[in-house]
Amino acid sequence: MEKLIKKFLYSLFTIVLAVSALFFIIRLAPGDPVEKILGAEASAVEISDLRAQLGLDQSLIAQYSNFMINILKGEFGESLFKKKSVSSLLSAHMPATVILAFTSITLSAFIGTFLGIWAGFKKKKTFDNAGRIISLFALSFPIFSLAPLLVLIFSIKLNILPVSEWGSLKHVILPTLTLVIPLSAVLMRVSRNKYLEEVNVPWVQVLEAKGLSSIQILLRVTKVCLPTILNVVAIQLSVVLAGTMITETIFDIPGMGMLLFEGIQNRDYPVVQGVIIYSTVIYMLVYFIVDYLNEIIDPRIKS
Amino acid sequence: MSKRSKINTEIKIGSLLLGTYFLWALSWFFYSYIYEGSFSSPYFPASDIKKELFSPLQDGYLLGTDLYGRSLFQVLSAGLFYSLGIGLTISFLSAGIGIVIGYLSVVGPRSVKAASELVTNLIFIFPSILIAILVMSLTGQSFSGLVFALVVTGWPGYARISRGETLRVMGLTYVESAKAIGVGPFRLFAKIVLPAILPFLLVHIVLGISGVIISEASLGFLGLGGSEYSWGALLSSAKTVLLEAPYMGVVLSLVMAGLIIGLNLVGDGLRDYLDPKS
Repeated sequence: MEKLIKKFLYSLFTIVLAVSALFFIIRLAPGDPVEKILGAEASAVEISDLRAQLGLDQSLIAQYSNFMINILKGEFGESLFKKKSVSSLLSAHMPATVILAFTSITLSAFIGTFLGIWAGFKKKKTFDNAGRIISLFALSFPIFSLAPLLVLIFSIKLNILPVSEWGSLKHVILPTLTLVIPLSAVLMRVSRNKYLEEVNVPWVQVLEAKGLSSIQILLRVTKVCLPTILNVVAIQLSVVLAGTMITETIFDIPGMGMLLFEGIQNRDYPVVQGVIIYSTVIYMLVYFIVDYLNEIIDPRIKS
Repeated sequence: MSKRSKINTEIKIGSLLLGTYFLWALSWFFYSYIYEGSFSSPYFPASDIKKELFSPLQDGYLLGTDLYGRSLFQVLSAGLFYSLGIGLTISFLSAGIGIVIGYLSVVGPRSVKAASELVTNLIFIFPSILIAILVMSLTGQSFSGLVFALVVTGWPGYARISRGETLRVMGLTYVESAKAIGVGPFRLFAKIVLPAILPFLLVHIVLGISGVIISEASLGFLGLGGSEYSWGALLSSAKTVLLEAPYMGVVLSLVMAGLIIGLNLVGDGLRDYLDPKS
């Protein structure tokens, strides 16, 4: 329990530090949201008026303390560009990203683990060799080259799936596929290597000597491999939940990645801060859950 | 010295692929910096709007032309030279910084350990693309800005590996005896620790080059690259003409995939080769 609280406090400290660092960096970076809102023609008076109205004329320290006080109250502020609160923007963009993240992570976790363990089980056989070549190719087409190729095949040549936009189940398939291919290839390699690492230990030989079938042994070794695999899944999940900027841009999906990208482009400080708070909290949360799960799966980790 | 395993097929195929790409990049360097242009004014593919989007082999263009009527082969070559340059520069810079910081976080005073752990965690938390975008907006969208941005996000990975490896090596008897006879920290690093951890790190450097090439192209794709010849930027423009000129996207993807496959094969092969267990 004490360990848990310590870990929680350290996470909280890291989040606060990360968000504070971000607060100052985006404000010190060149580019001015006020000039972007008003355009190049605006007069100096208009600029200073709007700046005062948005509270950007105060000193950085004053802005920072306001920001921190508001965060403690649970207020993320209002977007400088869209006349909407950051929390409403976040909840409007979250569903698309969450749907995309959970479908692609669930699929790739099962596909990657299954193929990887099976490849390890069939080491140096046809299945393993084919799997290695396929995963090598899957990892050599980054998302921004894979996605256009998939669009070319499924939307333009075969004409069975829509190119972009978001709404129905059909729209989810191509972006999910774009993410599942590299994610499951990574997991496949991780679980194969982990399986081969674990399979040569003495207790597996004991099981063999006791006469367990190879499938029974496979299942027991898989259980030992799960924590490592889950750690990688956790990294993938936290990355994808933070918004898959490129996938969302290509398929025109109104998700967190798109929100963050627009926010940075426009210097929409409150929006960028909101997205980053969201993604750091997600990052910590996912790690907490995975650490907990791993301790249940393999009690040896606790000590 | 233990018996070395034989050079495996992965290294052979990978180095063949990489060799081809290096030769290609080198030829482009000679062509654009010495033959057609000079170091002060290198040659760049000429655009001719009348020759927009020729298909491969049309009018003597091997791979056809791009949106601006430039020879796609030349544009690709310029992009390759740029990608390889970026990949090598950034990987070696980040590896250098990461190795030293990783080593210091083991042997240095407590404050250095805590600080390096905190900074590494902070950089891992942020999406690396966000850091890159922020740094790029601070330094301006240029080659040096891009290098800086990718080094900032790149070194923590190496620091983490270097820390783990240093911890492992420091426990070995010959390192302990070196410390016992009074070898100083600098000499210990340069003569004893570095040679021991470098082979393993080399695997990560080779794999890291392909990672950097992909990151750079991702930024280029989002319109934040350091050059108009960035493969990402080229792919992003190819995406807009996917209907009219599908071959452009296909050619770009395949050329890029070939280089990444080459790097990954060499990296994986090296890992197997250096692994004492195999």
